[in-house]
Amino acid sequence: MSATIVAQQAINGIVLGSLYVLVALGLTLIYGVLVQINFAHADFVTLGAFAAYFLMHLTGASYLASIGAALGVGALLGWAINLTIFAPLRHKGSELLPLIATIGVSTMMQNAMLAWFGPVPYAFETPYSQQVYRVAGTFFTLQSVIIIAVSGATIAALYAFMKFTFLGKALRAVAQDRETAALMGINPNHLIMLTIVISSALAGMAGAMLAPVLVLTPFAGTSVIVKAFAIVIIGGFGNVEGTILAGLLVGLIESFTTQFLDPGLIDIVVFGLLLAMLAFRPTGLVSERREENV
Amino acid sequence: MSDVAVQAYRASPRRLAFLASALVIALLPLVLTGSYWQTNLTVCAINVLLALGLDFILGYAGQLNLGQSAFYGLGAYVSTLLVTRLGAPFWIAFAAGVAFAGLAGMILALFAVRLRGHYLAIASLGFAVIIHQILLNWISLTQGPLGIYGIAPPPALALPGLPEIDFRNPVALFYLVAGFALLTYFILDQLVRSPIGETLIAIREDDVSASSLGINAAAWKVFAFGVGAAVGGAAGCFYASFVGTLVPDAFFITESFTILSMVIVGGMGTLIGPAMGAILLTLLPELLRGIGDLRLVVYGAALTLVVLFMPGGLVQAARLVRDRLMRRTAP
Repeated sequence: MSATIVAQQAINGIVLGSLYVLVALGLTLIYGVLVQINFAHADFVTLGAFAAYFLMHLTGASYLASIGAALGVGALLGWAINLTIFAPLRHKGSELLPLIATIGVSTMMQNAMLAWFGPVPYAFETPYSQQVYRVAGTFFTLQSVIIIAVSGATIAALYAFMKFTFLGKALRAVAQDRETAALMGINPNHLIMLTIVISSALAGMAGAMLAPVLVLTPFAGTSVIVKAFAIVIIGGFGNVEGTILAGLLVGLIESFTTQFLDPGLIDIVVFGLLLAMLAFRPTGLVSERREENV
Repeated sequence: MSDVAVQAYRASPRRLAFLASALVIALLPLVLTGSYWQTNLTVCAINVLLALGLDFILGYAGQLNLGQSAFYGLGAYVSTLLVTRLGAPFWIAFAAGVAFAGLAGMILALFAVRLRGHYLAIASLGFAVIIHQILLNWISLTQGPLGIYGIAPPPALALPGLPEIDFRNPVALFYLVAGFALLTYFILDQLVRSPIGETLIAIREDDVSASSLGINAAAWKVFAFGVGAAVGGAAGCFYASFVGTLVPDAFFITESFTILSMVIVGGMGTLIGPAMGAILLTLLPELLRGIGDLRLVVYGAALTLVVLFMPGGLVQAARLVRDRLMRRTAP
């Protein structure tokens, strides 16, 4: 094991991890304001990937434009799922019903995509995968530079939005205490809608960037989403900093497990870590006050 | 009316319902002949077992378990490997598969003791992912994605005074699985109406209050997971000997979602609901075969619509219909 291999796998892990962060941040944001899990989040990733694929291959649009389109598709899906599932079920006060309803939506979306796109994997090629740079013995493609730049900028923008803008502060206020926030003149319905739209847009955009790495089939999102679930738990549900850390960590685990152990062991290592976290430190890497589930 | 029926009628409507169910099970393969229907009937019986097992954990003890596919897979693989690798007799392997699944459930329950709601949901989902990956990657034991082929059905049963029952006959196998499902239903029905059931429901409603009344909530959660997982394991043992082939993807996490759907569509927290939900959701895709690829889209839509408009499932629907009829007949 040489230092170059370690550096190379660290780069690969961070590229992959930053995409997992985008997917997991969406889950964790929704959990933060709504205390709900969206199982169809996986299929927003998949549909984002397909949207980008078809835009690029049918209209010849650039890759960056197709990432933007995937973001738009994700946002639209988020708006739709809030309107049809989360908003009507919010007042029933059950943690189970929205979970099951989104499992239903996920089944629907996967099989609709299967009917339209077929089971054969699509080869998502971008012009940037061929351009390889070499620095100090390690390789990286322009594609991975784009992934790091776009996801890094998005995560930074989201973080700044949450921390410094009025809307972001209002959003955190709703997450902390919906009733009190409403008394302060914040409309929680609008902010919950905004959160779900932002989260889903992140999923769609992550789909466009994951597609060249994944085997792009209608079920591609599932493998991503189970890791994203592990990430939100390892990072601490509803915790943005923890999710970013845990996402990069899972990306690194994946690349190093592939290099030094066996690719088949990735999920076992990740979920072993998850169960160990839950057994010994259930509040996540970065602890918060949220303890009602533990 | 024969003596048996008279006695049953005098005993209670509940016993009569069991007798009627047994009769329906006995008659079904005679009415629905042909291998297509007999296959579907056995799948229904296996799914009823799976739904009952999950419902005991979710509907009665209130534990959000997304790992039922793992217990199903463990039951199937442990019993099959004991037969194919060690040459164990089928029923010993069956008992071991059930016990192993139950034990796995009790281990997962150790997390349920510390976690609630969505945390438990993700932990159990993670557990199911790990079991699926182990089945997929421990190739020297499970043959991984290649699968195990040619699994024998249960050995022929020779009861004194009766002709030998050969389980290579699909009707006999259906009777075996459906009979076991009915027996499980009967035992669980006794259990949930006993003080044990009331204890579990107390924990489901509020485990802090239950603890303050001297209930050992942790121990009862372990018990509920053990029983529910063991029932799932039994379904797995029957699945292996019924299908004759085992591949890990039969126990992917989406199977957990399917089982969960059966419980919800039927009406969790009752036994009849999940049993009916399992039958309905097994047959629904078959009945929708005419619309081809879109049938699972309809299935997903049905699940979503049930949650949105009839969250109590079939049981709630039946109560609504009954109340409306009662009101109409009342003066």
